[in-house]
Amino acid sequence: MPEIKVTPLGAGQDVGRSCILVSIGGKNIMLDCGMHMGYNDDRRFPDFSYITQNGRLTEFLDCVIISHFHLDHCGALPFMSEMVGYDGPIYMTHPTKAICPILLEDFRKITVDKKGETNFFTSQMIKDCMKKVVPLNLHQTVQVDDELEIKAYYAGHVLGAAMVQIKVGSESVVYTGDYNMTPDRHLGAAWIDKCRPDILISESTYATTIRDSKRCRERDFLKKVHESIERGGKVLIPVFALGRAQELCILLETFWERMNLKAPIYFSTGLTEKANHYYKLFITWTNQKIRKTFVQRNMFEFKHIKAFDRSYADNPGPMVVFATPGMLHAGQSLQIFKKWAGNEKNMVIMPGYCVQGTIGHKILNGQRKLEMEGRSTLDVKLQVEYMSFSAHADAKGIMQLIRMAEPRNMLLVHGEAVKMEFLKGKIEQEFSIDCHMPANGETATVTTNPSVPVDISLNLLKREMALGGPLPDPKKPRTMHGTLIMKENSLKLVSSEQALKELGLNEHQLRFTCRVQLQDPHSDPDTLNRIYTHLKSVLKGYTIQHLPDGTVMVESIVIKVSSSAEDTSTKVLLLSWSYQVKHFYFYNVISSNTRAVKRLILIAINRQISIVNHD
Amino acid sequence: MAEMEETDFNDILDDWFIESLKTYKDLHVYQLEHPTQVIEWTSGRTVCVAGYSSSKNEILELHLPLKLFADENKGLCAERDFKVVHGGFAEGPVCCLRHVPGTRCVVTNDGLSSDLQVWTVGGDDSDVIRRTGSVKGRRSVSEGGSRIAAPLSSQLLHGARSSDVQLTQLTSGQILYTLETDSADPLSSLQFVSDTVFLAGCCNGNVYIADTRTSAAPQLSPGPAAWGGSVLWWTDASAGRVIRLSSSGQAVVSDLRDLGEAVSWAQLDVQSHRCNPDDVRVSWAPALDNCIAVSGFSGAVQIYKTSVWGTERQDVQPLFEHRGHAVSSQSDDDVFVTAHVWHPERPRTLLSAASDGSVHVWDWVDQSEL
Repeated sequence: MPEIKVTPLGAGQDVGRSCILVSIGGKNIMLDCGMHMGYNDDRRFPDFSYITQNGRLTEFLDCVIISHFHLDHCGALPFMSEMVGYDGPIYMTHPTKAICPILLEDFRKITVDKKGETNFFTSQMIKDCMKKVVPLNLHQTVQVDDELEIKAYYAGHVLGAAMVQIKVGSESVVYTGDYNMTPDRHLGAAWIDKCRPDILISESTYATTIRDSKRCRERDFLKKVHESIERGGKVLIPVFALGRAQELCILLETFWERMNLKAPIYFSTGLTEKANHYYKLFITWTNQKIRKTFVQRNMFEFKHIKAFDRSYADNPGPMVVFATPGMLHAGQSLQIFKKWAGNEKNMVIMPGYCVQGTIGHKILNGQRKLEMEGRSTLDVKLQVEYMSFSAHADAKGIMQLIRMAEPRNMLLVHGEAVKMEFLKGKIEQEFSIDCHMPANGETATVTTNPSVPVDISLNLLKREMALGGPLPDPKKPRTMHGTLIMKENSLKLVSSEQALKELGLNEHQLRFTCRVQLQDPHSDPDTLNRIYTHLKSVLKGYTIQHLPDGTVMVESIVIKVSSSAEDTSTKVLLLSWSYQVKHFYFYNVISSNTRAVKRLILIAINRQISIVNHD
Repeated sequence: MAEMEETDFNDILDDWFIESLKTYKDLHVYQLEHPTQVIEWTSGRTVCVAGYSSSKNEILELHLPLKLFADENKGLCAERDFKVVHGGFAEGPVCCLRHVPGTRCVVTNDGLSSDLQVWTVGGDDSDVIRRTGSVKGRRSVSEGGSRIAAPLSSQLLHGARSSDVQLTQLTSGQILYTLETDSADPLSSLQFVSDTVFLAGCCNGNVYIADTRTSAAPQLSPGPAAWGGSVLWWTDASAGRVIRLSSSGQAVVSDLRDLGEAVSWAQLDVQSHRCNPDDVRVSWAPALDNCIAVSGFSGAVQIYKTSVWGTERQDVQPLFEHRGHAVSSQSDDDVFVTAHVWHPERPRTLLSAASDGSVHVWDWVDQSEL
């Protein structure tokens, strides 16, 4: 049976690193190559030994596909391609290609410079890895080779995130990466057509959650900022250039206008340049509304938000500052943090995840004394707020996506095994499809039922129609018989006679015979006659003929009588039937007296079984 | 700013939203796939909700957001979501759901018959809620479902009418007590006021008080004289006080030992657009003095302070009104609140659910104390 194999190397019952292997139609594809942010040793990388014990991965993989720029999906890519070794194509969308190397480099710097690690990829490796990248456009089918094709769909979540369809022949798999089903302020919602893949591989990190509304998250953000400003404090918001920063700026601007607030809001110029640059490049990736604004003007032109100058950090009074980098690990945001950390009226709002080793990570873990360069310590007195704005699908979102794509099977990765039995049951019940949840290193095998298109001869079709009966229907297929001929690359269903003709073969008939002995003193013709009469009386509804050539025929079964040479009352019945007769049981008890056959014949003719039990 | 941004943000920066910055300490808004009529605490941090459509429904046990409980390090906790810790499927609607204290069992009734379904909410090894038994009602046919009260870990008090209330031993099915009354009044509530003394509140305003240890006749307190035609009544008792609320918004507070006398009256400001006996809830705050919450008349949950009510019936205004469901509703139909519960310990934390599937967790600010 044809089958598709899926093996999570990371993800699959473990939140932290996504890396999934798919074998489909003889092709091997790696989906994502993430880093587990919680480990410091080799456990942070996916276990590539599953693919091969030693050596490069190039000959084992047809391609690698990266869904988006988050480190838990692409963090191990340079390690895989340059340190383990892979030279084949790496597919990702244009924005992902532009942003990935920046995040990887930041991550590398933190890990090597801050944490002093040595077994890590270098800047050059990141560059070499990116040279292997082939960018993808949305909804465009890309031929990886003659048989394998891939297509990217919009996933929402972050700029450039994609869901990918992988197709070989008539078998296909869709991998969702991270996605969300509700539109964002600056991103749309994920969308896919009813492509009916054999397997839908979905992220399920939040499958067992019900998300708090965006409204409430935004309310919390505004409330915190407002409270700080009201007490004269300063608010630092470290951000990465894209996405959330822009959204939070718009939110604050509207709020300031509405509440008639006067405190200044700043963003660092590095931030705006980068953001503008990326939005210009990837305008098609944001939602309609942002696109409209951007076309009209520079999206960072605000009434209440101004460009920051480092000297402003020392100004008295309340203010809000957006600065990069996002994890407080270097640069302007860290400088401002150092100045403001000592005052409890101030606040720092972390809008996203921080990698281990950064100041951001430390303060989010409650650390209130930080060791800085030159052995000095910094007392963290300001208020620390961790807010999550990331957009993920929840239980409802997964059901919506399944409804959209209509997969034949479901496979959940990136979640917690035990606690998903309910969701598994829910999916199986609502959609009547199997739901698989393989663990890391465990392979889920899904048998597929690929449909094979076949031409049918008109004569055969007409003959079948003439048989009457119900017309075939997708819910009630109708079985028919014919001969399948494969000529060049086409398949044809024809009648057996036509097949024989086309192949230049003669038809052969198979006939089976058996001999049954019985005692009957009558003459041969008389015995035959008695048999004929008897059969006629018990086998009603069958064609029974007594032919002039001295045979009795029951449908296509031939019966002949002859006497044994030694004893004329020992009759030999010759029964002969063709291959069409499936079962033929002859059960005969001959009486000792002159009565003829007493118990008789179980004959199955063709597909019909007639039971005759005659005493 | 471009126009588009204004309209884009007007939808979130509406008046209610701006107001909420000052009027709520915490506010969480969720959307279930299907609306629920029940919210029942299964522990200090988990609740059960269940659908009420006519065919298959989900029963979910939800863990409240961690952020709500992270009192000292609240800022460092970003977890704002409900976690679905357990889930199961019910064949019919769930109109009443009660947790059996000290166990991992919940009991449900579908509002169509008086039989109860018993469920086991899985432990750490499984996230599935399984049907593990049933309890037969006294009379099999009834219009309107059963009310359920669970005093101890092995007993259930249930019934749809005052004439068929019984106390059943959960494990054996043995009937330990039956309430004998002359009339078969449909019930709107059933609750215990002590280990063995319970209150059966009828829709017509009658209240029966009985002790399950004795076979003595129950004490009947007829409903207050209602003004405004035939009305329905709901009851709640707590710490020796009983409140009765009518479908016309009339509220009466009495002492449990003397139900016939009214301690105070009030005419509540409930705009009763519609009044379904299944949806109205009135409840005393467990951790606040003299506060009640009222819901089911509209898309709001109202908090009233009963200590300001007098012996003369007067119009009163709510101390606080949670209008979140009506304001946030995406549906075209008028949304109404289907259930609410107070947190057992946190004084001003409530959960409320509405007909559009929304569930809110809110911690309101008492403006009068500021």
